[in-house]
Amino acid sequence: MAAVAAATLALSAHVGSPDTYYEGSAGPYRVRVIVRSAGVVPGLAQITVRLLDGARARTVTVLPVYWDPRTAAPPPPDTARVVSGDSSVYDAALWLMTGGSYGVQVAIAGPLGTGATIVPVLALATRRLELQKPLALGLAAFGAFLFIGALTIIGAAVRESVLPPGAEPDRRRVWSGRIAAGAGGVMLVGAVLGGRSWWNAVDQGFSRQLYRPLASTAAVRREGGRAVLRLSIVDSAWRQHWVAPLIPDHGHLVHVFMVRAGALDPFAHLHPVFVDSSDFDAALPPLPAGRYRVYADITRESGFAETLTDTLTLQGSTTQWHPTDPDDAWIETGNGDRGMRNGDTATLGDGSRMIWNRGSAPLVAGQDAPLAFTVVTRDGRPVTLEPYMGISAHLMLSRDDGTVFVHLHPQGTISWAAQQTFLLRGRADTIRGVVGRRLTQAEAGMLSMAAPPPASGEVSFPYAFPRAGHYRLWLQVKHSGKILTGVFDTEVR
Amino acid sequence: MADSAAALVPTPLERARADALSPPWHVWAVLVAATSAVVGVIWDISWHRTIGRDTFWTPAHMAIYASGIIAGVSCGWLVLRTTFAGEESDRATSVHFWGFRGPLGAWLCIWGALAMIVSAPFDNWWHNAYGLDVKVLSPPHVILALGFTGIELGAVLMVVALQNRAMGEGPGRAKPYSLLLAYGFGILLLNKAIMGFEQIGFPQNAHNGLYYEVCAAVFPFLLVAGARASTLRWPATTAAAVYLGISLIMLWVLPLFPATPKLAPVYRPLTHMVPPPFPLLLVVPALGMDLLMRRLGTGRDWLLAPLAGVTFLAILFVTQWFATEFLISPASETFLFGAQRWNYNSYPGGWEHRFWRIDIDPATPTKLAVAAVLAMVSTRVGLWFGNGLARVRR
Repeated sequence: MAAVAAATLALSAHVGSPDTYYEGSAGPYRVRVIVRSAGVVPGLAQITVRLLDGARARTVTVLPVYWDPRTAAPPPPDTARVVSGDSSVYDAALWLMTGGSYGVQVAIAGPLGTGATIVPVLALATRRLELQKPLALGLAAFGAFLFIGALTIIGAAVRESVLPPGAEPDRRRVWSGRIAAGAGGVMLVGAVLGGRSWWNAVDQGFSRQLYRPLASTAAVRREGGRAVLRLSIVDSAWRQHWVAPLIPDHGHLVHVFMVRAGALDPFAHLHPVFVDSSDFDAALPPLPAGRYRVYADITRESGFAETLTDTLTLQGSTTQWHPTDPDDAWIETGNGDRGMRNGDTATLGDGSRMIWNRGSAPLVAGQDAPLAFTVVTRDGRPVTLEPYMGISAHLMLSRDDGTVFVHLHPQGTISWAAQQTFLLRGRADTIRGVVGRRLTQAEAGMLSMAAPPPASGEVSFPYAFPRAGHYRLWLQVKHSGKILTGVFDTEVR
Repeated sequence: MADSAAALVPTPLERARADALSPPWHVWAVLVAATSAVVGVIWDISWHRTIGRDTFWTPAHMAIYASGIIAGVSCGWLVLRTTFAGEESDRATSVHFWGFRGPLGAWLCIWGALAMIVSAPFDNWWHNAYGLDVKVLSPPHVILALGFTGIELGAVLMVVALQNRAMGEGPGRAKPYSLLLAYGFGILLLNKAIMGFEQIGFPQNAHNGLYYEVCAAVFPFLLVAGARASTLRWPATTAAAVYLGISLIMLWVLPLFPATPKLAPVYRPLTHMVPPPFPLLLVVPALGMDLLMRRLGTGRDWLLAPLAGVTFLAILFVTQWFATEFLISPASETFLFGAQRWNYNSYPGGWEHRFWRIDIDPATPTKLAVAAVLAMVSTRVGLWFGNGLARVRR
């Protein structure tokens, strides 16, 4: 087996899906929080807080706090406004002035008392905004008007402004005015060209500073009869310790996902172990040959969660696989023809079934997607799920061209570990690794104490698809000690 | 200059206009507009340094855009009235523009108002595309600045035309306009000081080469142009005093208003608006330039330019070099000097009491020589412009 690293995909954290979705408890209130990224830094992100289960609030406040504990004092929180037409929904703008990781404190006061939660949010420049045609035309028209107007003023100044009142300009003055307007025109053209160069320089500088995940490579080597995937973080910022160290999320420093390009099948979810601070190894399942997209979810101690990307070409296959980690899993549905099925039931490896309760309405980009599922036995009884890495379910979804890849939990798009860093970090925690160590120590207890998944076999995920297109979903749950993966296809308008 | 301008023989129409001793309403309107722009910009900078976040509808922004509205509407009305319903004397003191008639300054004010309108959607797009920058200089901000600079220059042109027409009406007839002209140049000085806020705004910059190069390139032009066009005895000094006066009013008034930061990180728990830094003491070099211009008179501009340029730089250098040593010291931390009032997000440290960037941009003899050349060129161009202004009559 040989591996060839190919071009890195140009992507963003939670690939191609910059908005944050969170569902959880703020004290006695269950809330769904959506933070729509500004796409630029500094910028205004829009936050929406929806109270679930019919709850009502007197006030909802939001406050983004930068992860860096050097912050002397936060500004006062903003009071979110009730969205007209729905008294359970509140919205506000978040002023994110510095790029990086923020904990957005959402506080609710109402008849049930007060409650608060923290939603990790990233402020990133992720897109380059085109100048829309109507605006461009309008500006060009106004610009031309101002240009000609300026020349006319220059001409009038030379031709008439120095004449005694009532006098008419003679031929010489008329020509002087024309010449002055011409000279002014040359200077103005120069100024416009200079302005254009300035604009281009700003645009190029902005493009250079667009967010890119840490540079990484994925490669496969043969060791005896088995194949080993090595993920390496090769970014100079990482190697020179300019960024915060990794912390485990759901018990693992790295969650690697491999999807064969085109067919979106097979799919693997692996958890490499660290060889050193930059290299991570995992035994590779017997994946068939092909070009694979490799996504690696990591969370840094700053609460910065991102998805590293690379591509990998596998040639041939091995049959021997001893998983590096018991949480590793892979699936090949055999549906290699890339046909998009709209079925809402997937048969799992143990014969149980996973049903997508999607309703009849079409999925629309940017609108809440009904990502609710039920796992039932062969005879239709609800399955009691077991925690899989401390949580009831993991849902991965990818657009067929790979431009969107998201790893969801019932809490949404957030990294659980990132949320914990904001809860665990003290104001004096300025030493690298302190919060990570505290989190690692606390995590085992937290995961074992995690609330058991509901006995109803139901799981749901707060999310809205970012773009229209064909998507494949992989939903992973655990039952009777087995990791079960259900695969669904859907089209989003 | 006064001699040459006085030689212009006033016509009956000029006399009719000059008889109206009080400046017409549109002159007051454009001067209010010009003031509103600079006050608004200083206010806006303070807003960003104190509160941090803003919207289009902040009072500071309203003051800036009020400038465009006041100037645009008043001059638009003036042009329509002059073209279609004005008296013959009004049309006689106007210039043609695409079939319409109005004073030259009014056209510049209208142009400036339109430029300000254009800058608003451009600036909005710019913030959406590249982020909520808090820079003074960005392409849309430059268009906005061109707009209100056009209004300020338009106000100067309207006043100077009235002054020049009133000069033949007897002693003292032009003086009210000359005072308003100095006021207009004071506003322009303030405008340029604001545009160079990042290079010359803070006393901590005053030991940099760039500080003197920017000052030398910008201020002599305005000081000599205003002086050459004026009938006052101390025109440059008066204009510099206007700049100093408005700056000090802003320095003393802004901190009276309560305000707290609304953006993180808050390193300084502010309770009131942060005032601008203490202004440059331009009155001192301006006084020197006035003396020199009075001694040399008109007709020797090629001699005056190098002398006045070097005089400006030498006096400015001595004044600012030592004055800023006091202004960055803890001794200046009083209400009077407004020093050491820093942004909510500026990390406390010893840098407040140090001169900045003196390791990479010290004020070396070479850089001062460059500044001297810039001052000479700026003075010469300013004299040309001032001579032109002295002839404006419409």
